[in-house]
Amino acid sequence: MIPLFIDALVEFLSPGVLFDTLVRGLAEAGLYVMIASGLTLVFGLMGVLNFAHGSITMLGAYLGGLVLVTLAGGGSALTGLLGFGVAVVVAFGLLAALGAAVETQLVRRIYDRPPLYQILLTFGVALVLDELARIAVLFYGLQPSTIWQSVLGTKPSLLRGSIDVVGASIDGLELFQILFGVLTVVGVHLFLTRTRYGLFIRAGSEDSEMLSALGVDVRRVFTVVFALGTGIAGAAGVLLAWDPAWGASVPLAAETLLPAFVVVIVGGLGTFRGTVVAALLVGFVDSTMTWWFQNYINFTGLPEMMVFLVLVVMLVVKPQGLYGVSEVGGH
Amino acid sequence: MSGEAPLLELENVHSYYGDSHILEGIDLEVREGEVVALMGRNGVGKTTTLRSVLQLTPPREGAIRYRGENLVGLGTNEVAERGIGWIPEDRRMFSQLTVTENVRAAVPDGTAVDEKLAMVFETFPALDERRNALAGALSGGQQQMVAIARGLVGDNDLLLIDEPSEGLAPKIVETVANTLTEIATETTILLVEQNLPLALDIADRFYILDHGTVVDSGATAAVDTDTDRLRRYLSA
Repeated sequence: MIPLFIDALVEFLSPGVLFDTLVRGLAEAGLYVMIASGLTLVFGLMGVLNFAHGSITMLGAYLGGLVLVTLAGGGSALTGLLGFGVAVVVAFGLLAALGAAVETQLVRRIYDRPPLYQILLTFGVALVLDELARIAVLFYGLQPSTIWQSVLGTKPSLLRGSIDVVGASIDGLELFQILFGVLTVVGVHLFLTRTRYGLFIRAGSEDSEMLSALGVDVRRVFTVVFALGTGIAGAAGVLLAWDPAWGASVPLAAETLLPAFVVVIVGGLGTFRGTVVAALLVGFVDSTMTWWFQNYINFTGLPEMMVFLVLVVMLVVKPQGLYGVSEVGGH
Repeated sequence: MSGEAPLLELENVHSYYGDSHILEGIDLEVREGEVVALMGRNGVGKTTTLRSVLQLTPPREGAIRYRGENLVGLGTNEVAERGIGWIPEDRRMFSQLTVTENVRAAVPDGTAVDEKLAMVFETFPALDERRNALAGALSGGQQQMVAIARGLVGDNDLLLIDEPSEGLAPKIVETVANTLTEIATETTILLVEQNLPLALDIADRFYILDHGTVVDSGATAAVDTDTDRLRRYLSA
């Protein structure tokens, strides 16, 4: 048993495996950051845990998939990437609008109620969105029980292949996911630190009552944040639609909501910095455990359990998360 | 007092926290250019009066008129947009934001931010040195300066100032008092203050609250800190 473990450890620490695990971990972190950013922004400012967040990601995958199938089917790498850009813009725009509508028409009515009401409301919205998606998928025959294969076919060859780096085989899609993760982190960071709304969001996350007494329309800031959060979740869905490990499917809603919650809770509810660090942590735990379980333990279902184990350990050791504070959502 | 309409007028204001009846029919006036002190023991409704004006604790009965317009039913940001600033009791810093960012958050849209910041740092040189420090890392006195600065940059005609001397060292209280005296030359102030000498020094008139109602009022020139009519309601 021990010699086997030492052999495995030596192999794991070889440059090729280590680099491959690192890149896989970064790619997963990129996805997790995109999925979880909106969730943490909304909770940080508004104190609302949006259970419909995963459903928005799922809708993003389908909307983006629709654009990709229409624009990029069987085209060149340039057409594929261009189609992806359009799909991201469309998914972001439409789902940001949907988020704004949900906030102004539904969530706003229950801000003064206990958090349970917001959880039940957003959970209800998630069920409605999932059912609507299921009906649409059945109606149009988009393979409801598995992922939408046609969308995978629109992935340009550039992202299908892999390159060898220090003995590791790195997928083009993984590099693409890392790129989008970095773009999300930089984009959200710049928005929060360089724009007036970003300033209001950070201030309102601490004390929205004081912010409104300074003349800021906090309700409008809430709407902007909710829209931004759902927009990013939708854009993440487009990225997932090209990944065979995720893909466009109705169950994607739950599959993305759970890791998003893990990342947000481990990072500390409502802190963007915590979300980024937690996404990296969870990404690396997942990629490391995946290698071990695939190569030496031969039980592929367990790596996901390890991610949830991280959550359990964090809740026991540091319940407020890596960068969390005891109170968030000042309204 | 002149015969012109008051800048701020509270008429039979009743406010509650849940089922607790805090303000039981407050009547109060603040005229343009005045400093009016609101005094009384802890828990008599001074802070609630300010919160009611701001619609943070909207009254269930009565009227709050600012320049003749009833504020009841407006949003807090709409009250602030009309030129009413708030310097709250516990300063309410955005602790994870820098000094500059705290002030920027209070500058109204369409206003020259750099000019406002220059004005603040000229008024409070101590803040200039710490403009990039997190507000949560400042001393109590420096935080009070930031709180006052936020009130100043808001283009406000009326400042609601709640316990500005609370928790500050005597030396800092003196600085704050001088700053408020300077601000009072250009801005109308409704001041909640337990520090009787400070309140009487700055204010033109006073109101004393007890059990949610006004029990006494008058010109500060007619009283001093030993006056029985003040001590009766202010001693613990």
